[in-house]
Amino acid sequence: MIQLIHVSKFYDRRAALADVTLDIEKGEFVLLMGPSGSGKSTLLRLLIGAEQPDDGHVFVHGKNLTKLKSSEIPYLRRKVGTVFQDFRLLPKKSVFDNVALPLLVQGASGADIRRKVTEALRAVGVDHKRDQLPIGLSTGEQQRVCVARAIVNGPVVLLADEPTGNLDPELTSEIMELFKLINARGTTVVVATHDPLVMEQVNRRVVKLAQGMLVPEQRVWA
Amino acid sequence: MVAILTTASTLACVGIFLLLYVNLRAAAGWLQEDVKIMVYLDDRVSRESAASIEEQLRSDRALASLVFISKEQALGEFKAQFPSESRLLEGLGQNPLPASFVVTLSPQFRGPDAVKHWAERVRTIAGVAQVNYNQDWINALATIIRSIELIAIGVGIVLSAAAVTIIRNTIRLTLYARRDELAILRLIGATTSFIRVPYLLEGAALGALGSAVSLIMLKVVYEVFRQQVRAMGRLAGLEQMVTFFSPQICLALIVVGMGLGCAGSFVSLRRFGEAKV
Repeated sequence: MIQLIHVSKFYDRRAALADVTLDIEKGEFVLLMGPSGSGKSTLLRLLIGAEQPDDGHVFVHGKNLTKLKSSEIPYLRRKVGTVFQDFRLLPKKSVFDNVALPLLVQGASGADIRRKVTEALRAVGVDHKRDQLPIGLSTGEQQRVCVARAIVNGPVVLLADEPTGNLDPELTSEIMELFKLINARGTTVVVATHDPLVMEQVNRRVVKLAQGMLVPEQRVWA
Repeated sequence: MVAILTTASTLACVGIFLLLYVNLRAAAGWLQEDVKIMVYLDDRVSRESAASIEEQLRSDRALASLVFISKEQALGEFKAQFPSESRLLEGLGQNPLPASFVVTLSPQFRGPDAVKHWAERVRTIAGVAQVNYNQDWINALATIIRSIELIAIGVGIVLSAAAVTIIRNTIRLTLYARRDELAILRLIGATTSFIRVPYLLEGAALGALGSAVSLIMLKVVYEVFRQQVRAMGRLAGLEQMVTFFSPQICLALIVVGMGLGCAGSFVSLRRFGEAKV
C-alpha cells in the first residue's frame, strides 16, 4: 500500500530523511516513532504529496508520487485521510459541515453527504454534537471530529501526525482505540508519534526514525 | 464593503481620467469637423461643368458634406460680413469672387496627409482653380489628438495597473484571512479549480460592484460640475458640451471592472492561494 524506496529529503542541506526504504502492507497499522525533528512529519508530508523527495521514489496505493502531476494530487488525497495534532477544523463551520467538506469537494449529492457524515460521526461517537461549532467541543471531541472528517469518504490509508499530542492519557487511549477500529475495517493506518505511551497501548508494528534515518525495526504483533 | 469602496475609489480615478479623455477627444473631433476645405472653381466654368464637378466630388468616399456657393452667393456673403468694404467690389464693375464648394471630409480622412492627398487630387480636376485649407491648423489638431491618445494610453495603463494591484491586495487579504481554510481544502483533496473559482467569482463581483459604484460617484461629480458651470453663467453652453459616458460605455466599464477583479484574484491566487498543507 505504501512504499518508500531510498527516499531522501533535504532542507537547507540538512537531511530530514536520509535513504529511507520502507514497505507498509495493505491493512497494516504502523506506528512511526521518533523524537521531534526525526523526520516523521516529513515522511507523512511525502505520502500526501505535500513535498517531493530530493531522491528516491514514493508509492501510495499504486501511484508513484514522484511522477504524479500536481493536478493528480487532489485525487490521491481523496484516498488518504489525514489527522493532525492541531485538528485543523474550520472554526466557523459546524461539526457536520466540517466532516462534510471532503465529500463536498468531490461533488457528492446532498443525500449521500447526510448519510456518510452521520455514519462517520456515529463511528467516532460525536453524532450528538453535529450542529455545534468546534470551539464548543472538548479537545478530545475536536480530535474525534477530525478523525470523522478523515474517514468520511472511506480512505484506503489513514495518516495521523501526533494525533494525541494535545490529549491526556485517557483521551489518547480513546483515540487509539478508534484508530484500531478503523484499521479493523481494512484501512491502512500510519500514526506518527513521539509518545511511548501510544506504543504501549497500540502494540503494533513500530517504525523508528532518528535524525532522518530508519532504526532497525522491531515487530510487535498483538 | 471596504473592499468594494476601495475598488470603487480606484476605478473612479480611472473613470475621471476616461471621462476627461472622452470629452477632450470629442472636443478635438468637433474642431476637426470645423475644418473646411474650399474648392474654388475657374470663372470660365459653365453651370453644367460645375454640376459635373459636384457630381464627381459627391461620388468620392472621403467626402462627408458639400455645399455649393455660387459667385452671387459669395458676393452676398461678403457684403453681409464686410458691409463697409462692399463698395470696393462695386468699383470693379464685375463680381471678382469665384464660385466654390465648401467641403467637409469624413472623420477617417481628416488627418494631415489624407487632406493633403485629397486636395492634390481635386486640384487636377478640370475647372478647379484652387483648393484651400488651413494646413497648420490641421497639423496642430492632429498633434493634439495624437498627444491626447498617447497620454490616455499611458495613464490608462498606469491607472489600470494600480486598480489591479489594489484589487489584488484586497483579495490577498481575504486569502490571508482564509489561509487555514485553503490549506484544509487542499489537504482533503480539493482541486485547484474548486479552490480558485469562488475567489475568481468574488474578484469579478468585487470589480463589477466597484465599477458600478465608481460610475455612480462619477455621475454625482459630473452633475455637480454641470450645475456649478451653469450657476457661474460665464461659461454658458459648456455644460451642454460636456458629456457623460453612454450606457454602452458604462456597461463596458463594468465588464472591464469584472475583468480587472478577476485578474487581481488570479494574480493573488497564483502567488498566495496555493496554500501549503
